[in-house]
Amino acid sequence: MTDAPILVVGGGPAGASAAATLAEAGLRVLLVEQRDQLGGAIHRQPALGAAHTVHAPARHRRNWAELARRIDAAGSRIELHTGTVFLGVDGDGRHLFDDRATGRVVARTIRAAVIAVGAVEKIHPFEGWDLPGVMTAGGAQVLLKETGVPPTGPTLVAGTGPLLLAVSAQLAKAGNPPVAVLERGRPWLRVNALLQMVGAGQQLAEAASYAATLLSHWVPYRTGTDILSVREDAAGLEVRVRRSGSVHSLRARHLLVHDGIEPNRVGIPIPDPEAAVPVVLAGDGREILGADAAILDGRRAACMILARLGLRLPDAQVEARLKAARNVQAAISNMFRSALPEPTPETLICRCEARRLSDFRSLPDDASAREIRLMGRFGMGVCQGRFCGSTIAALRGEAVPSVIPPRWPLRPVSLAALADLKTDELES
Amino acid sequence: MARPSSMHVAVVGAGIVGAAAAHFLAAAGTRVTVLDASGPAAGATGASDGAVSVASKRPGPMMELARHARAFYGQLEAEGVFHGLFHRRSTFLIAQNALEAELVSQHGADLAQAGERVIAVARAELMNRIPGLGEGVTAALEIPDDGHALGYQITSRLLQRSGIVVRRRASVSEIVVRDGHAVGVALAGEILSADAVLVAAGIGSAHLLNLGDILIPRKGQMIVTDRASTGRPAIDGHLMGASYLAAKRGIVLDRSHIGLVIDPLVTGQFLLGGSREDNRSDHRTDAVTVSAILRAALELYPPLGARRVVRTFAGVRTASRDGLPIIGRHPHVDGLVVATGFEGDGICLGPFMGESAARMILDRPLAADLSMLTPSRFARAEACQ
Repeated sequence: MTDAPILVVGGGPAGASAAATLAEAGLRVLLVEQRDQLGGAIHRQPALGAAHTVHAPARHRRNWAELARRIDAAGSRIELHTGTVFLGVDGDGRHLFDDRATGRVVARTIRAAVIAVGAVEKIHPFEGWDLPGVMTAGGAQVLLKETGVPPTGPTLVAGTGPLLLAVSAQLAKAGNPPVAVLERGRPWLRVNALLQMVGAGQQLAEAASYAATLLSHWVPYRTGTDILSVREDAAGLEVRVRRSGSVHSLRARHLLVHDGIEPNRVGIPIPDPEAAVPVVLAGDGREILGADAAILDGRRAACMILARLGLRLPDAQVEARLKAARNVQAAISNMFRSALPEPTPETLICRCEARRLSDFRSLPDDASAREIRLMGRFGMGVCQGRFCGSTIAALRGEAVPSVIPPRWPLRPVSLAALADLKTDELES
Repeated sequence: MARPSSMHVAVVGAGIVGAAAAHFLAAAGTRVTVLDASGPAAGATGASDGAVSVASKRPGPMMELARHARAFYGQLEAEGVFHGLFHRRSTFLIAQNALEAELVSQHGADLAQAGERVIAVARAELMNRIPGLGEGVTAALEIPDDGHALGYQITSRLLQRSGIVVRRRASVSEIVVRDGHAVGVALAGEILSADAVLVAAGIGSAHLLNLGDILIPRKGQMIVTDRASTGRPAIDGHLMGASYLAAKRGIVLDRSHIGLVIDPLVTGQFLLGGSREDNRSDHRTDAVTVSAILRAALELYPPLGARRVVRTFAGVRTASRDGLPIIGRHPHVDGLVVATGFEGDGICLGPFMGESAARMILDRPLAADLSMLTPSRFARAEACQ
């Protein structure tokens, strides 16, 4: 077992930082990333062969260059598999991977695991959110980073949070400034939260640079604005919005929506640093602390593993700096906090299985999570509840999605690839 | 026995059998309390394929009873109770080599003997009906009168139609017996009194009735795929490999730990199953078993290779030592009826057996002879030892 590598899942800032830290301590690392290249959502690189650049703050570029250098320097200590999807842990404790290049599922024996699979984007559902032309703002941002090309035609950006500013500024720099940014919250009115942000110089400078870009492109930033519904007609999308109690319609070709992010925990193994094969989470997949703190959190996770293996003590400074990041995130949440409009009964909740709010309401009040799946079919589709999980948790009055317990496969996997399972276990 | 309207019956277990019994007891005017350690359809009922199939049954009384039970589904469908939930669907028994062909042919003869319609389908026609079947498939038998229903939907409908609200997380610790008569059940900090008790708690029946050496948990791992199109089954029939028949008939083939079924769901997805793992009552699935099921399924129906696996899950069947269900009055305790041990046949047999259990409690004549399933058979066997 001591020959087995430490598994790191996810090649974003947290995973890259954990992998580099473990390799620098002399351990063998198995680093798997589902995309073709490392970087995660924040440091997403142009698609292989593409040569464009998308506007990003210099600090993010420097952070990634440093992580990439450390990964390179680790050489063969890090066994890197891109295009490989972590499928979870089976009932016998096998760690399973979908190796898309060879088209087969592989089971590997590992010594410990750091899971750094990032965040999932939330959207508060409204009628029409599933129409073509509506997509998540984070998804649009990643697409822009990969292709360098913004969506064409009039584009609205809506929802809540600082990402709306970042995406809108990047769209403007790429040549298609949004028609408007519709923010549900009223950040300027949250004076206390603004004061708490004083310590967050980097984040404030970043926000100011985005705001300047939007100003120079005459993009209006409307606060206190809710999306009520979207309809599609021959000319594009008709978006009904509510601002200060009055309802009016806006027209656009694309609507990019975003209501914050939350850790991607659906089906993910439960962290257990004391287990025979220790499992720790890192980065936004553990706690939403942002891109800068994710690098620290990857280091924290690596140190936990090293401590568990008796190789090094945990790093107390890391904890203190994470606490500062936590305060900044709390201030941001506070600044953008807002009441959510009640979805109509016809609003789609689970897109995969075409289930609406009225379907959810027709389930018994005391229905278990399992009955919500079996009888309601919520979370039974190919997204496996990653998308509807938080909405259903909110409808059930729960803080964390409990709809899907730890499971495998974590992502839909080719049946032929799983039939062709390869394990590194010795034949018994 | 008291008149139904003045009786209170405690039903332990909210699976398909308990729900059916409760439904028919309530229909007779009886007051019913249904208790479940978890909730409705939380055990094998909610973790099974939906085969309402005579084709898969062991020849003899089980095949006969399955025919009664399937007809009962048809009756309840026609009466509206199961409206929209039960559909006719052919089962195809499929052989992939000479040994399997012999087994399928023997099974077909047994089915015909029991009065079942059996149609031999040659490879050419079979390929027409289910394009893409594997090279090894030479011929099949079609059982055209089989059907399909989902256990958790049937359970939910039965409870809903009779207005019964299940007491959830109500774990019964023992049956309260006074002067040789069941007078209630004990829960945490509570005795619920009743005039009669039905235990239909699957493997949970073992500790309540001291059946630990008679009931065997048998885990089954299953796989659900994505779909190519929505709203209708991907193929017109339920495919059953000879390995499944072999397991049911007690014959050991190479892959006897897998009884292969390819079940086209109405959602357009496929349900693939399943393993047969004795004395396993956990709900874990493992990649080695799942991949073995998938290889067997691919060999039978290669187009599955284009699908993705969306989830895996495991259910625990409750089998009895002699392979037959246990339903009947308790040999020593009046007012106590037991219905368990339906193994993988609970969805097919459930509504009929639940209705039969209700009749036993109400002291009414049964619609079929169930004497060979009486729990007394184990008491007799032990007395002979």
